Amino acid sequence: MTKTKTNPYLEFLKQNLVLCGIVVLIIVTAIAEPKFLGTSNLNNVLRQLGPLPFAALGMTFVIIGGFIDLSIVGIISLVGVITIGLVDPLGQVGALLAGILLGAFLGWLNGLVLTTCGAMTQAEVLFITYGMSSIYTALALIYTGSETLRISRSEKSISIFTTLGSTNIGIIPVVLVVFVIVLILMHLFHRKTIWGRAIALMGGNKDAAYLAGFNMKRTMRLAYAINGTMSALASIALLSRVTTATATSGANYETNAILCVVVGGTTLKGGKGSVLRTMLGVVLITLLGNCMNMLNLSTYMQTVMRGAVLVIAIWLDNRKEL
Amino acid sequence: MNAKANVNKVWKVISKQKAVVAILVLMVMMLFFDTTFYTAYNWLDMLRSTAILEIVAFGVTVAVICGGCDLSCGGTLCLGGIIAVMMVNSGIPIPIAILVALLSGAVVGFINGFLVVHQKTEPFIITLGMGMLLKGICQQLTDAHPLTCKSKGFMQISNMKFFGAVPSLVVYMVILFVIFYCLMRFTSFGRNCYAIGGNYEVAKYSGIKVVPIKWAAFVISGVVSTLAGVLLSSRMNTGSSVYGDTTGMLVNCGVVIGGTSFAGGVGGMIESFIGLFVIQLLTNCMNQLGVDSYYQRLCEGILIVVIIGSDCFGRKLKRERV
Repeated sequence: MTKTKTNPYLEFLKQNLVLCGIVVLIIVTAIAEPKFLGTSNLNNVLRQLGPLPFAALGMTFVIIGGFIDLSIVGIISLVGVITIGLVDPLGQVGALLAGILLGAFLGWLNGLVLTTCGAMTQAEVLFITYGMSSIYTALALIYTGSETLRISRSEKSISIFTTLGSTNIGIIPVVLVVFVIVLILMHLFHRKTIWGRAIALMGGNKDAAYLAGFNMKRTMRLAYAINGTMSALASIALLSRVTTATATSGANYETNAILCVVVGGTTLKGGKGSVLRTMLGVVLITLLGNCMNMLNLSTYMQTVMRGAVLVIAIWLDNRKEL
Repeated sequence: MNAKANVNKVWKVISKQKAVVAILVLMVMMLFFDTTFYTAYNWLDMLRSTAILEIVAFGVTVAVICGGCDLSCGGTLCLGGIIAVMMVNSGIPIPIAILVALLSGAVVGFINGFLVVHQKTEPFIITLGMGMLLKGICQQLTDAHPLTCKSKGFMQISNMKFFGAVPSLVVYMVILFVIFYCLMRFTSFGRNCYAIGGNYEVAKYSGIKVVPIKWAAFVISGVVSTLAGVLLSSRMNTGSSVYGDTTGMLVNCGVVIGGTSFAGGVGGMIESFIGLFVIQLLTNCMNQLGVDSYYQRLCEGILIVVIIGSDCFGRKLKRERV
């Protein structure tokens, strides 16, 4: 390891491992399966991006703050079913807003529970948010009675959802445009506002942040509320695309979101990272899934691959600091 | 004055033994309902249904006492069962099949130990990733179909009864409990585990071989998880990749609910037994009262949040007092 430090190419490779991974993946798959670069597949990849980037974006803030959140499974499920349920009584705009507000509230509630308990270590946070997740999922189950809710059954207009779900501008889906706008806003929030910096500072050194005059509890609640809002957006993106919502539709989003964040290079220790890096992680993971589909590997192997990528990414990340 | 001191003492005991209090509350509550709760059959059944999780918990507790954590136990459990069933089906003698299954658990534990202990990564997230990877492997092995075991003898392992009434799973659980209790209480390995969990640096400088011992704790956890997997597959007479989906989180939650702290160094087998028993007791009580399964899940989530939250709260008060 010590020898390579002088080599500028290796240094560049180390810094931009994800980018290199993406390029290698594209080249290898394109050689093995030329269809990969065709328009229809490109369209597919853009479509597959769908809800995951939103979830990963929110998770980035929590992880930069030095915590973790497993409750987005519950939030995505609960927001999805409630939004569909509210389309009839409130109309589509009202349902949309109510869904997003509900997400923010649930996230804030997580933060409130955690700060009241004084959960400081990642272990405590992990288990409490897991408990919250089963509460939210249970609420969603109670609400739906484990039936599948279909948005197309509602009597009022659902044009926003159909636009989000299936309309393209050129080859770019509308939902991706929305996402890019949110991404830019969030990036600016993280880099330029005092609250964004407070979250990063909290992850870097809690005591220092406290002594610098930041209200740590409020910052923590803010980070979780952002995550909740983003999960709600992910949920809406999901239900627009599949046009249904069940009480378990959020399953596996938590590990995938954490995976994207970690692969992107945001360390779990907190303090470091950026939303743009997370996006590289999202692109890598989505491309990986697409490539494995193109190469006709089973979906089970994709789960193996994701687990392996998660373990290896954390391991490499840790080695950097040793 | 004396009364106040007594109240304080009682309060201290209660706050330390939340799980015992929860059990007592549930048992008193059940006195008021006319159910079959207080029958030998029900209690034996309860012990039998919780046996698998308890066995997993014994292994995980060793890792937790060392200051680690093993969320991959769900995946390991699944893998152990599937390997055993596959080998038995292909005509290999049952003892050898079980031995190979246990070996696979040892390998998983070895890898976990390498990453967590040797490379000093965060145990929670690494084992979470490992669990995901193992799940994928299990799906790949079985093509996501349940595998029925063709051997009668294999099914007998968990389904026979000793003395005409006691299910064999309960007997295995008791035997393993005694073994692990003695291991942690009366051997130098067990004492060293407590020392490592209590203070890693101090243990290191006292001449305890910290790395091999903590590593061994992860291997033990893996082996015991696969053993539980074999017993579960024998009980169900099938190996399936859907086993163990929630086991990882549930067992670790149970261990913490019992009073074994993730900070390491405190707790023990009795505590873990009680912790998981609370969850089972709650489920049983609600089944007896005919509570809807969605509400059961809600109560389970609330139980986890309340007990782990109050645990954190206690530590927070302690921190502030110092």
